[in-house]
Amino acid sequence: MTAVTRTTVAAPATGSGPSPDAGGRRLPRTLHPVAWWVWALALATAVSRTNNPLLLFLVLAVLGYVVSARRTEAPWARGFKYYLYLALTVVAIRVVFRAVFATGITPRDHFLFSLPHIPTPHWYAGIRIGGPVSLEAVLSAATDGLRLACMLCCIGAANTLANPKRALRVLPGALYELGVAVTVAISVAPQLVQSVQRVARARKLRAGRTRGMRALRGIVVPVLEDALERSLRLAAAMDSRGYGRAGTATRRSRRITGALMLLGMCGLCAGAYGLLDATAPAFLGLPAMGLGAVLCVAGLRLGGRRVTRTTYRPDPWRLPEWAVAGSGVLSAILLFSNLGYDPAQLNSTFYPLTWPGLPLVPTAAILLAGTAGVVAPPPGPVQRGDAS
Amino acid sequence: MSPARLLRAVARTVAALGMTVAALAGTAVPAVADPQPMGRCTTSSGAVLAVDFSRWGGPIYRSCGTTPTTGYELLNQGGWRTTGTGHDGPAFICRIGYSGFRNGKQYPTAAEDDCVLTPPASAYWSYWHADPDDTDWTYSRLGAMLYRPKPGSVDLWIFGGTDIEGTKGRPKVTPDQLRAHNSRPRGDAGKPAPTGKAPTLPPDVDTGPAPEKRATKPPETTSPKPEKARPSASHSPTPSPTTRPTTRPPTSSTPSPAAAAPPSGPSVVDAAPAADARHDAGSIAPVVTGAALAVLIGAAAAVVARRRRRSE
Repeated sequence: MTAVTRTTVAAPATGSGPSPDAGGRRLPRTLHPVAWWVWALALATAVSRTNNPLLLFLVLAVLGYVVSARRTEAPWARGFKYYLYLALTVVAIRVVFRAVFATGITPRDHFLFSLPHIPTPHWYAGIRIGGPVSLEAVLSAATDGLRLACMLCCIGAANTLANPKRALRVLPGALYELGVAVTVAISVAPQLVQSVQRVARARKLRAGRTRGMRALRGIVVPVLEDALERSLRLAAAMDSRGYGRAGTATRRSRRITGALMLLGMCGLCAGAYGLLDATAPAFLGLPAMGLGAVLCVAGLRLGGRRVTRTTYRPDPWRLPEWAVAGSGVLSAILLFSNLGYDPAQLNSTFYPLTWPGLPLVPTAAILLAGTAGVVAPPPGPVQRGDAS
Repeated sequence: MSPARLLRAVARTVAALGMTVAALAGTAVPAVADPQPMGRCTTSSGAVLAVDFSRWGGPIYRSCGTTPTTGYELLNQGGWRTTGTGHDGPAFICRIGYSGFRNGKQYPTAAEDDCVLTPPASAYWSYWHADPDDTDWTYSRLGAMLYRPKPGSVDLWIFGGTDIEGTKGRPKVTPDQLRAHNSRPRGDAGKPAPTGKAPTLPPDVDTGPAPEKRATKPPETTSPKPEKARPSASHSPTPSPTTRPTTRPPTSSTPSPAAAAPPSGPSVVDAAPAADARHDAGSIAPVVTGAALAVLIGAAAAVVARRRRRSE
């Protein structure tokens, strides 16, 4: 599982490419990271629309297929199963909360078990703790949690499939400080996963104790040390490449940029609030959103003038990128369009117990998103240059 | 951890669950509250339930229930049925349906509100009480499952929006238009109408075609049952059986000047206890198809992952 095996994986991966192009064998290459992010975020948007456990399990299966078929051998690409554990935790927490903060049982519900009831004082009667738990409550809590879990797994799939550091390059020049921060933030989880795996492997080789508090210390300390070392190395690398230099901006232009961005962000926040809260005054909705967007774009343009960057080895955006991003966006559009199916079928209800339906168009839309596992080029061998 | 052992454990759990469910379904909890014909509610006994369907072109339905009850039970007996939200459970009343109104269709419909998350404060069923001597409505401080209506009180559900100040979305009718005004029960005093007690007949999942009649497609604005017409409660005995125009008594304390408007509001219709609208549990075929599809794709993922691991 070291460098030797990583380099040999290239040949079988290209050989097993499911559907070669008309021209013949497809060259392995990594897809543009933005294409994977667009695909995953669109799929997460589509998931947010539905509560149907069949569709949600289908999304999970599709994610599993695309990840296992198109992930690279890079360190961050091995973390998908941890996202699955996280998803399981989310579902469990949702079910436990629903059972503890009981929402009442009716004579029609199917009783499962009863938790000890903690009486609340009269003035606090709105919340019930403990009491009988019904099958309906458990099922609806589980599907509710499953939806959030699916969205988490979508983000996890994007983290697994896309190189987080190459995604930084597409941000506008003015945002490069923000981009650095975001990239560092989103790569924390994969790097922690990698650290934990490495430490665990080392412990296994040394045949050390694997249980108890001492073992925990033996894992936590090296992982923290690893994280610190890695961030110092990243800081040094960024420093040597000119990140963080102030550029040629005057004090005045920097202030104007800051003011524009701040006002724009306030406008975007107010706009989002106005759009989501139906009782907010009308001018808070789309007008504030539009004004905020205009101010933000102006600020970005103004700020972008002070930063000049060059790109080394730019990522191409070709047909497979269009196909992957398009399949994700199309599935989200289909799930929001209500075309050709009853929107009620997207939200299955368990009061009273009803079998969930399998609407045709959303199913097809999710399968369409799954074609990303076929149309994306097969992953190539990991390149040392990608890791930093 | 062998698959066979795991399978056996799962089977045991499922069997235990099934037995629990079966045991519970067998000994259904006896219902404390009963649906009653409207005439059995008096000024001092029974609780009146009123639901305003005027947003969907319906009347205000009025029905009666015996009193040791909760607002939820009152709203789930005698043909009434509610749906909660996926997020909050059945305690949050998201949809209300009455088997005598449009064949038991519940409102708001799925197109208006999907009832997954808590509905917005601009469009939901708001819950109002009026105790026996109240001249105006009080917004409920408790949910339907926790509130216990007093004998002789009125519970009103109206659909719309409210605000925190309590100035918006107040009911357009007064409690006096809805409450019972007779001091003793009327109608067949012998026994309560036995027609349909909701909880005693658990609408279990897919028990095949039920022999009972299916809500008989009643006309929309009249009493849904072929019961004898009962004169309405308080005012001059109008010959029209159950529908009476809304007349506003002088005690109306609705603050809006619209209270003086001519009686153009929704009519009030007495809703007799009816059988539950039948519930269709759907078919298992989509579940099997969907599960098979998910398993198929999952297996493909496993095969791909395995091939990659072997080649590593």
